[in-house]
Amino acid sequence: MQAGLLDGVQYGDTVLEARGITKRFPGVVANDHIDFEIRAGEIHAILGENGAGKTTLMNILFGLLQPDEGELYIGGKRVEFRSPLDAIDLGIGMVHQNRKLVSAHTVIENIILGRPRAGTVLNLKRAEEEVNELCERYGFKIDLRAKVWQLSEGEKQIAEILKALYRGAKVLILDEPTSALAPPQTKNLLASIQAMASDELAIVPFITHKLPIVLEISDRVTVLRRGKVTARLETQDATEESLARQMVGREVIFRVESTKVETGKRILQVENLSTRSDKGFLALKGVSFSIREGEIFGIAGISGNGQHELAEVLAGLRKAEEGQVILEGQDITHSSSLERWRMGVGYIPSERVDVGSIGDFSLVENVAMNFYFDDDFSGPGIVNYGDIRQLTEELISEYDVAAPSPDTKAKNLSGGNLQKIILARVLARKPRLVIANLPTQGLDVGATEFVRNKLVEAKEAKAGVLLISEDLDEVLSLSDRVAPIYEGKFMGIIPGDVAKLEQVGAMMAGLRLEGNIIEETGDT
Amino acid sequence: MWEFIARSLEASTIFTVAALGELIDQRSGILNVGIEGVMLFGATFGFIAAQSTDSYLLGFLVGIAIGSLLGLLHGFFSVTLGADQVVVGMGIWIFGFGLTTYIGNPYTGPLGMERVPPIFGLSPFFYLGIVLAAVSWFTLSKTNLGLRIRSVGENPSVAEVSGINVTRTRYLCVTIGGMLGGLAGAIYSLFYNPVWNYNFLMGWGFIALALVFFSMWNPWVLLGGSLLFGTLWQLSLNPQLVLPGLLSRYIWRTIPFAVTIGVLLIISTAWFRRRWGAAKPEALGEPYVKE
Repeated sequence: MQAGLLDGVQYGDTVLEARGITKRFPGVVANDHIDFEIRAGEIHAILGENGAGKTTLMNILFGLLQPDEGELYIGGKRVEFRSPLDAIDLGIGMVHQNRKLVSAHTVIENIILGRPRAGTVLNLKRAEEEVNELCERYGFKIDLRAKVWQLSEGEKQIAEILKALYRGAKVLILDEPTSALAPPQTKNLLASIQAMASDELAIVPFITHKLPIVLEISDRVTVLRRGKVTARLETQDATEESLARQMVGREVIFRVESTKVETGKRILQVENLSTRSDKGFLALKGVSFSIREGEIFGIAGISGNGQHELAEVLAGLRKAEEGQVILEGQDITHSSSLERWRMGVGYIPSERVDVGSIGDFSLVENVAMNFYFDDDFSGPGIVNYGDIRQLTEELISEYDVAAPSPDTKAKNLSGGNLQKIILARVLARKPRLVIANLPTQGLDVGATEFVRNKLVEAKEAKAGVLLISEDLDEVLSLSDRVAPIYEGKFMGIIPGDVAKLEQVGAMMAGLRLEGNIIEETGDT
Repeated sequence: MWEFIARSLEASTIFTVAALGELIDQRSGILNVGIEGVMLFGATFGFIAAQSTDSYLLGFLVGIAIGSLLGLLHGFFSVTLGADQVVVGMGIWIFGFGLTTYIGNPYTGPLGMERVPPIFGLSPFFYLGIVLAAVSWFTLSKTNLGLRIRSVGENPSVAEVSGINVTRTRYLCVTIGGMLGGLAGAIYSLFYNPVWNYNFLMGWGFIALALVFFSMWNPWVLLGGSLLFGTLWQLSLNPQLVLPGLLSRYIWRTIPFAVTIGVLLIISTAWFRRRWGAAKPEALGEPYVKE
């Protein structure tokens, strides 16, 4: 491989071109004759749902996979990548969504890893100077001496970008760049991306959702659906609706409007609840709130601020350190998970694969896990699999789960279909309280819409819903009341119809609501 | 007293050299629990080579060479074939124990050569141990190669996408680890206790292995640990050199083991375990399969 093909490129030159890229896996064509070209200085978004072939394409561009057909050109020269190293040498940088960093090492060690330029005996000082220069130029803020495990997701992403830049990347591929960021961080990142683009770097973000971001910063968009390019547009000609239509292949209703339901009596009351995280420190620091019948209570926050622990305490999977949980007048603070299920708590965990299902079990068995203890479905010590199978079949058709049969193993389902079956078995119990932890995370546009509608239906059926989400649009459009959470505390509780995106975003980042604080105690 | 100190340092040296080899192994993510077997090989073949050629140099070289071959063997199973490293290590130990007993049996008895002369009254290998600890520390923490080794041990897939050849780096480390293991064995049989008999090593390799865990993969802590255990070991053998007439020798014999229990107690505290978990190479013992 000859390095330096991209030396001296100028604004608007084509740096990377793909012609007829095709990749087949057993039973599926992941990439079907994909063409596009990327120019220096442009931000070229590649858009597609899960399963549209984005990951395959990304891996081909980075040399992790070799295409079956088609050619790649860099600076007009045909190239073949045998490994990521070839791609790196030719100026392609990749920022992975599942971060590729050594967590026990410092940021600077990660950045210089694999670069002989840092010297046989490492010259960290010089490397730090060089990286600091990059930081200043593009507005990144990061402590280079910090260990990676101490960093937030946003900082890890910055470290990866710096690593790519330090290696001289001219084309920067970003995998879901804003998925783990709070709104203020997103704003900073977008500014940095634009600064890099104005330095003749080509930026290629791959995006599943968050269409507004595409519209905000990109120059051009290529849309993939089922392995094919379905649209190539200048961003100025695109709207959120038109992009979604191209991605999904049909009209998508963006905002699932949460209907206003007459709220009834109080279902859940939480008083001054605290709990510890797996690592032993206090993750949830005394939150109080209540949820009424027919209400969606949204908790907005970046992962790791205690919302996950809150969900687990309420589901009975984690011990409360302090405080009280009252469900319809009964103190359930120390009740077991099973007792809570029986009393009408339904828990939709964020870890679909590890907690929400057992991969090697069939769908019938997975559904049985929420019903085996019901008298309707079991005799003395014997589970009535006939009835549960019938229920599973009903759920599969009602929830439109794409599964060949009820005996399919859960691990063979896609993320969206797995979430549908988990949702189905929880809602089929007609729970009084639904705890939904990141219910649409990682789902494509179609499945997301479906899940949101079902949560609204649950609320209309007079359940109380606790919705935990990182997606601000989701929380704001669905919730009747919103509580932004930061470092284990609510930053306030705001009625959903007056909550503003900017305000909630700032509160998620730690700003306490000033002035008209609508604090809530158990008695409101 | 001086004799006791000199003797203790000689014993410590063997722990230091063997454990440093194991530390380098482990820093690259490879666990060799069969270090006792590697030492047995190095000791026996070094002993035979030295005795039959009347050359210490050749004896040590053979010890190092046979150690590197065993390191490579361990590498072949655990890196190339991706086998369970504990099982492979145990295999190497049993293999070493059996084969060296068979091969060494006709050579039972003293080496019959003049002792390697001391330097400033101390074992020359003691100085070697300190130099090796310093070189290991510097290489691991200050050089590009060291960063590569540590990255391969922490997260091989990250190392791979950063352009590091994981296989080659791990082979390098198992070879060095094997060489040091073989050398440590040869120091035992050619210098510390120059007599070949059945099961002469009595678990020194396993103590070295434990020292690596105890050191939290830091060569300087490891050096300190080796000194502690070398001294305790010597004290249990010849208490009369330090405290004549005090306690029976049976009690002295139990001391290294009693201290081991104490060390285990310290290790099991939450404070230590947290730090230990942070220091442990994350990919230790896990075979790396390319994506």
